[in-house]
Amino acid sequence: MILRPFKYVECGSVDEATTTLKQYGDGARIIAGGTALVPMMKHRLLRPEVLVSVIQVPGLGDIAAGPDGGLRLGALATHWEISRSPLVKRESPLLAYACGRVASPTVRSMATLGGNLCYGESASDPSPALLALRARVRVVGSGGERTLPLTEFFTGFYETGLAEDEVLTAVEVPPLAPGARWRYLKWVPRAQEDKALVGLAAVLVLDGRHCRMARLGLGGVAASPVVLRRTEQSLEGRELDERTSAEAGEVAAAEVEPMEDLQGSADYRRDMLRVWVRRVVADLATGGGER
Amino acid sequence: MESFELTVNGCVERVQAPTQWTLLQLLRDGLGLLGTKEGCGEGSCGACTVLVDGRLTRSCLSLALRAAGRSVLTVEGLGANGRRDPIQEAFVRHGAIQCGFCTPGMVIATRALLGVNPTPEDHEIREFLSGNFCRCGGYTQIVNAVRELAGRRPTAVNRGENA
Repeated sequence: MILRPFKYVECGSVDEATTTLKQYGDGARIIAGGTALVPMMKHRLLRPEVLVSVIQVPGLGDIAAGPDGGLRLGALATHWEISRSPLVKRESPLLAYACGRVASPTVRSMATLGGNLCYGESASDPSPALLALRARVRVVGSGGERTLPLTEFFTGFYETGLAEDEVLTAVEVPPLAPGARWRYLKWVPRAQEDKALVGLAAVLVLDGRHCRMARLGLGGVAASPVVLRRTEQSLEGRELDERTSAEAGEVAAAEVEPMEDLQGSADYRRDMLRVWVRRVVADLATGGGER
Repeated sequence: MESFELTVNGCVERVQAPTQWTLLQLLRDGLGLLGTKEGCGEGSCGACTVLVDGRLTRSCLSLALRAAGRSVLTVEGLGANGRRDPIQEAFVRHGAIQCGFCTPGMVIATRALLGVNPTPEDHEIREFLSGNFCRCGGYTQIVNAVRELAGRRPTAVNRGENA
């Protein structure tokens, strides 16, 4: 498969990227690792006139501790780097694990976290984890910088809240609540490197069996990655056992509008989500601990 | 059209390539290095795997111009003085090659694996090579070859067991 001609602009800074994006408008696309964009272009789903490369912007791939704990991940940090970073493994093991479940090692070593989020795909592995962790994204456009919760970033099927001239520069991950238990469960119908049919990330804080806090992020089911708010609310303040876990599964199955594609029907996705939520909650409630 | 220099298998090459060329096109069509294969062309199968500055790369998804100033290793760059690399020897010894189409990518991915983990367990071998498809289904022999490189004995026969 070959690519059609395009113009390529290598940017040395975020400002240069936003200026170039503004200049070319709808005809421009940002390229980072290229693992999502290049196949889209090969399949003629996109035909940008100009590729605005940010891959050489200095410091945009840094992985660092956040100012108030947690993490600050530069948009160009690759899934490979994040999944193997001792800092991420310590501060946000859920995120490290989810990034390690993306596609295959070769794709992980090219694909960037920022690119993953901006692609806006539902079946992203980091997205549900970052939603469960209530991460925020920093975005720079020609009008300046803004920070928005990831919950407001995904707006629909392969759609994000980025304006035409905006660049996602960093992801801020709040610290994990003390004593929190976490899990990322990915259901792939065929092979390991497949995309998630159901990707469920959960963070629970428990006092014994009493659920003090529940955070659930979901990929692969709805049109975009989503938070399971009603399911979270159904768990908080309750004693977790087999019955409440099963009830949470029912709430989740009723809460989302599943997609339908060649990987699975809407009913199949709903059924698997129901099972996954029940299992994850029951598992975390009965010890489970990490992962 | 882009003009740039890169190092391929230790040799500095001065190339001219259309802006839209992938690294795979540059290697095969530009430099005549036909060891690296195009399988799916969309980053799933791993037949086009090369190392760029030591980093595992899908050459079918990489723009050629991004390799400017970098060092690319393809299967042709393995071995020295007319002798095969130990990875290639192990693949031959274990029959880890049937039609051969996936082999260059498998061998390069194995090289990357042994670079980060010289003694991988079986599950680590399988996980690391999960992005390299062998359409002949010869995974058992491939894992056996890598296992030997990791200093462990291959399993005896292994018919029908591929999990």
